[in-house]
Amino acid sequence: MMLNNADWYDLARQTNWTPTYVTEAELFPSDFSDPYGIPVAEWEKFDEPYKVTYRDYVRTQREKDVGAYSVKSALDRVSFYQNADPGWKSLLQLHFGGLVFVEYGSVSAFARITRFGRGPGMRNMASFGSLDEIRHTQIQMLFGYEFLSVERAFDWTQKAPNTDNWVVISERHCFDDVEHTRDAVSAAIMTNFSFEQGFTNLQFIALSADAKRYGDHSFSTMLQTVQSDEARHAQIGEPLIEIMMENGKVAEAQKLIDISFWRVWKQFSAVSGVGMDYYTPLAKREHSLKEFVEEFVCQQFLRNLKALGLEKPWYWDEHFLTDIETYHHAQHIGLYLYRKTGWWNVTAGVGPAERDWLEKKYPGWNDTFGQTWDVITESILAGNLDKTEPTVLPLICNMAGLEMSGVPGKKWNVKSHHVDLDGRRYHFGSAVDKWIFEQEPSRYRSHLSLVDRVLAGQMPPGEDGVYEYMGMAPEERGRCAENFAWAEAFRSKKAA
Amino acid sequence: MANFPLACNYQGDYGMKLLVVDTNDTMDDIVEKAKKALVGVVVKAPKPGEVLRVSRHGEREYLPRNLKVADANFVQLEAVDITVEA
Repeated sequence: MMLNNADWYDLARQTNWTPTYVTEAELFPSDFSDPYGIPVAEWEKFDEPYKVTYRDYVRTQREKDVGAYSVKSALDRVSFYQNADPGWKSLLQLHFGGLVFVEYGSVSAFARITRFGRGPGMRNMASFGSLDEIRHTQIQMLFGYEFLSVERAFDWTQKAPNTDNWVVISERHCFDDVEHTRDAVSAAIMTNFSFEQGFTNLQFIALSADAKRYGDHSFSTMLQTVQSDEARHAQIGEPLIEIMMENGKVAEAQKLIDISFWRVWKQFSAVSGVGMDYYTPLAKREHSLKEFVEEFVCQQFLRNLKALGLEKPWYWDEHFLTDIETYHHAQHIGLYLYRKTGWWNVTAGVGPAERDWLEKKYPGWNDTFGQTWDVITESILAGNLDKTEPTVLPLICNMAGLEMSGVPGKKWNVKSHHVDLDGRRYHFGSAVDKWIFEQEPSRYRSHLSLVDRVLAGQMPPGEDGVYEYMGMAPEERGRCAENFAWAEAFRSKKAA
Repeated sequence: MANFPLACNYQGDYGMKLLVVDTNDTMDDIVEKAKKALVGVVVKAPKPGEVLRVSRHGEREYLPRNLKVADANFVQLEAVDITVEA
């Protein structure tokens, strides 16, 4: 007779044995396991909300895989892709090149939590987390690579992390900080709570809804199957925070969240924000980024945070709420202008109807971001396509790794917050990015953005040196996804 | 003469740019180089009669138009605002 899981689960996962060949400190070095000095008996109280056995895990995952792969095999994905709107193609190219390697990185992040976590339940959950992330990598690699025969950009599904492309450098800087270079407790709170509970809903549920509306059912199903795992292993964070709170480490927990929430927000704003508000075909958009963030982050995440007894990050009202309205719009302009430096073809998404939508969702857009697009549109209509690519490099934020941006046009507001350290000036795009740097300069001071590397003379010689450094052959460089045809609507509008 | 990198914050632009100038360049030269790089690309040309001036980022006081970069006490990657003279 099979025992019920509840009869044996708690006992079976009590694996905090007493070492005899090494000391506890050697087995669980504090720098890797717990720099907060919380007694092991406290960590043993870790009680995971989702209790999963290996047998149940395998059965459930198999069912999920069968669901996702059967939808894929039933649909002719390549034909779908070839007939897709240029914006949807841009979104897929960006998604697969930009996110799959982050998933793969999470395999080792969870493995580190499995090895060095002090709570047996935490280690158990993290083991499944590693398996989850292997699955996410495999399924997304397969789905992305399916288009390789018709689109070179999907080579970056696998290639991206092996390059020093500037977008990849930015992602690595963020996720290395949050997931890979901290002790098990800090990494788990930053990854599982801030990153996964805070933001993966945006990329996987919100984007999945858009994909379904667009008719990309296999992509939608793939995103859902990924998010179903995220929803489980993201739960590792909450019990950890509870233990820290109960042991007087409120400020430490708050700081971990304040740092990681902002870092991950910047990445998601640029990737998800651009995808939702510019690449997704207008007729198929469910909500704007701002609306999705208000639902998933400002309500759900904040509610979870408060339920744990923590405060919203100190910068919430002054900086975060402003950023929701502005940051991705500026980043999108840069991604379009510097499109050759990305692996995906960039859709402008600023035709007359799209601009009306942007103005409605973000009042004032035409007087600000729209002003820059007016200049770009005029260049295209005048046939000055060379003017759609700047001859100077953008300045890169030394924390976010993305362009130093702000609000253009009639409400011009672009600011640098800088730190001078050992003869080097570090520029930050916001007071929050600067604050993060100041919390631990030794962690961040050696990092060089692509622009820093250019100034340091690290590029190969020649006109194409920067591209060569980023691993981008001419045919791999992004183009205007619509070959500038989007601007023609303004010519006829002018004529009318 | 030597190259000198500045962080250029041009009025109306969406973000800052890396502008490599020469240490012998004056503030007016910086303005011209920035205009050449950015006008018609991300910002419109200044209106007739408008004069662009350079100031340290966040400061109201314009730097003298004939001041050379070498004499401006700039650090590498100093951020400068380029704005229409009030």
